[in-house]
Amino acid sequence: MVAGDGQKIAAVTSDGNVPAVGERVRSSGNIPLSSTTSLGAKVRQWWPYYAMMAPGLLFFFIWHYVPIWEAKMAFEQVRIIPPNIWVGLKNFQQLFSSPIFYQVLANTLIISGMKILFVFPVPIIVALLLNEIRSGKLRGFVQSAIYLPHFLSWVVIAGVFIALLSPTDGAVNQIQNAFGFPSVNYMTNTGTIRWVLVISEIWRSAGWDSLLYLAAIFAIDPQLYEAAEMDGANRWQKIWHVTIPGIVPTIATLFILNMGMFLSADLNQVINMQNDVNASTIDILDTYVYRLGLSTGEYALATAAGLFKAVIGMILVVSSHLVSKRLTGKGLW
Amino acid sequence: MASQSRRTPLERVEYVLIVSTLLLLVVFTVQPLLNLLALSFSDPSKVAGFSGLSIIPDGFSPDVWALLLQHPNVQRGIFNSIWMTATSVVIGVLGTALMAWGLSRPGLPGRRVIFILVLVTIVFEPGIIPDYFLMKRMGLLNTPWSVIMYKAISAWYLIILVRFFEEIPRELLEAAELDGANPFQTFFLVVLPLAKSALATIALFYLVLHWNEFFRAMIYLNDQSKWPLQVVLRQFVIEGDKIAIVGANNANNNIGIAQINIRALKAGMILITILPILAIYPLILKFFTKGTMSGALKG
Repeated sequence: MVAGDGQKIAAVTSDGNVPAVGERVRSSGNIPLSSTTSLGAKVRQWWPYYAMMAPGLLFFFIWHYVPIWEAKMAFEQVRIIPPNIWVGLKNFQQLFSSPIFYQVLANTLIISGMKILFVFPVPIIVALLLNEIRSGKLRGFVQSAIYLPHFLSWVVIAGVFIALLSPTDGAVNQIQNAFGFPSVNYMTNTGTIRWVLVISEIWRSAGWDSLLYLAAIFAIDPQLYEAAEMDGANRWQKIWHVTIPGIVPTIATLFILNMGMFLSADLNQVINMQNDVNASTIDILDTYVYRLGLSTGEYALATAAGLFKAVIGMILVVSSHLVSKRLTGKGLW
Repeated sequence: MASQSRRTPLERVEYVLIVSTLLLLVVFTVQPLLNLLALSFSDPSKVAGFSGLSIIPDGFSPDVWALLLQHPNVQRGIFNSIWMTATSVVIGVLGTALMAWGLSRPGLPGRRVIFILVLVTIVFEPGIIPDYFLMKRMGLLNTPWSVIMYKAISAWYLIILVRFFEEIPRELLEAAELDGANPFQTFFLVVLPLAKSALATIALFYLVLHWNEFFRAMIYLNDQSKWPLQVVLRQFVIEGDKIAIVGANNANNNIGIAQINIRALKAGMILITILPILAIYPLILKFFTKGTMSGALKG
């Protein structure tokens, strides 16, 4: 759903013997390393590797660690003429006493909840259906068609949906009119806009995400199917008793990972689907931070809101990782 | 699987239903895009009443595409997107591969610490405002480098590549060392050629990621002349800034590009933006699919 490619692939394919944190370093690699090696020898041996890693290390330091330092702004009063003044938790107090903050938090939770409920199961069903297709050509055709939207930006997808849902000549309203229903402006209707987020998320990710489940299905031992057939199992019995149990670990892993992203609700999607009319219904934490900070210039307050999201988000992600690791043996990394 | 002859009528009905459901999904996925394509190639005089359901152009005219591709804003957007994406991909692949190689060596001192520090960046993101101030402090605001450098190395792709490098047989590396290769030579002459397919996959990941990037470009780049195509598209289609493409003079006097229906222009703009993705789509299918199906990007 909101997770990136690398994240999902890494998560679903991790099999416990990856270079994970907490894992003991395995026996030495191509270069033997004894425990008695002196520091000087170590430096001589390893400096080329550190030299090669240097650009990457510098990158992570500058773009991921310096911003953590910059986030101290959440505890400051930002002044036009530096230095800023330390104000402790005052910004957070202001944030937590603002009704808009709770509205935005509620929107985020509702949208994430709707996505878990209505988007998450779709790729599983698609994968199960795809697996029933016997003709490789037909399956290939369906796959290459439904994977495409995953590779389009949210700007493009929002543009497509604005056209698709246009009250005057959009396909959806034309079908509705043909059946005698009046047109609805889905993009500006506060009752429908969250469903637009759900449906457009399905449009974008249902196809591609089914691939992860399909990979899991293909990894199921064919002998299990043969045994089921010997027992006279029909199509649905095979799906229910062989296929689904075979992909439960993958389902569990991806479900838990999605729970970890609960506070994200996808900034890129919302910011392109938002307009003046629907803004209050789909304003999420990320768009709130963006508007507060970069439009109204409330830097300290926006940083505080961002930090709130970052900390709760971190707790969610780490706990979901631990739960997933515990239950399925697969985690985020 | 049961052979054709042993299938009961019920099973055949089931199969038809399954195939129909999937074909419906294909229509739901592709029709909106084909509709925009048809719209953008329709005769401009017939666009006004063009149905959202149709996927066949009404008349034929390349005017929309010609006008858009000649438009200075669009041309600049294409140019910016191409060079920024290309630069990001090169930096990304090189930086990721070099770092992953070091991290994949089991004996590397500090390996665990570095891994933990990388993983921390995945779970803790302090948010867009601190990033914005960092860009400002470094003097990168309103320069393309703010967009190029941000996320130039992805922690996820790094992890994927580390796993790949760990699988390289030790014998190959030891043989290179016996031949007197230093670690740099081993990396560039032995490891990289072995990792060609994994590197191509990572490069495609980065390419799609950066081509589709709009948010950072939108907040960091004030200057419209520096905007990548996604931001140009967003201004026109999402924010509905018609003047940005049509031009105030044209709009006021209803001349030139202003005579073309705005719907067709928007459709054309969307398609121009996804054209590069469509062009490399066969590659994407091959590498992304294989990367996911085989797990660790082997082969």
